[in-house]
Amino acid sequence: MNKNLVKNMYYPPGGILMWIVIFLELITFGMALVAMAAYSKDEPEVFHNSRLLLNTTYGTINTLFLITSGFFMALSVRYLKDGNAKKSSLYLKLTMLGGLLFLILKTIEYNAKIDAGLTLEYNTFFSFYWMLTLFHVIHVLVGLVILTIVYFDLKKKKEQTNLDDFEASAAFWHMCDLIWLLLFPIIYLIF
Amino acid sequence: MTKKNLLSTWILLIALTLLVVFFSLFFDGENYLATIILLISALKFLAISFYFMEMKKAHVFWKTTIIVFLLLFIGIVLIIS
Repeated sequence: MNKNLVKNMYYPPGGILMWIVIFLELITFGMALVAMAAYSKDEPEVFHNSRLLLNTTYGTINTLFLITSGFFMALSVRYLKDGNAKKSSLYLKLTMLGGLLFLILKTIEYNAKIDAGLTLEYNTFFSFYWMLTLFHVIHVLVGLVILTIVYFDLKKKKEQTNLDDFEASAAFWHMCDLIWLLLFPIIYLIF
Repeated sequence: MTKKNLLSTWILLIALTLLVVFFSLFFDGENYLATIILLISALKFLAISFYFMEMKKAHVFWKTTIIVFLLLFIGIVLIIS
């Protein structure tokens, strides 16, 4: 095997450790979603009627927020690689705004569900809904904290910002997109 | 990844999101709905990992791993449901 291939294998974009974390997270969420699909076979009507109680519009808008936020993150990385710290910083702020909008809409959605009595104990579908979406929200919150730290680092060091750290943070943020892309169709659309 | 590529990917992702919601609204109850929704979602998943996360430039091991994960996940969910 040549030297470049070996290097590439151990250095995926964002770093090997971040990708191990990403795969572990994807497997965890994946297994929970498979369990949800399996439980739906025992109570198909409960799952269908419960799914209809969810607000698909909120789910769709939140998907658009996260996709757009991911797009800004990718642009931010691109600009930093090009040596344009000012534009990178601008797109990083827009990325965080996308994450904040996601959390605001999720809070509105959660409030509506709690007011309607659709809590964790309501039925099996809503147990999965709360556990999976709340676990995802925690990841978005952690992602926002990481991006805030990276933002202040970028502001201080400008073009001297460590690109590996920046890419690892971006990979974590994109992981939140990937997880949501698995959650959204199964929870909001399929049953 | 060029800015033009990123923009094209973003437009594709928005279009696929709206398409998947359209299918779920207008073909509710159809047997093939879950398959269509999951396949479109898989495309979105690959677009984000390959373009936004720059997996396209990564070693074939990482590309294969992400595709195998996705195929396994979609396959298992489709078999169960």
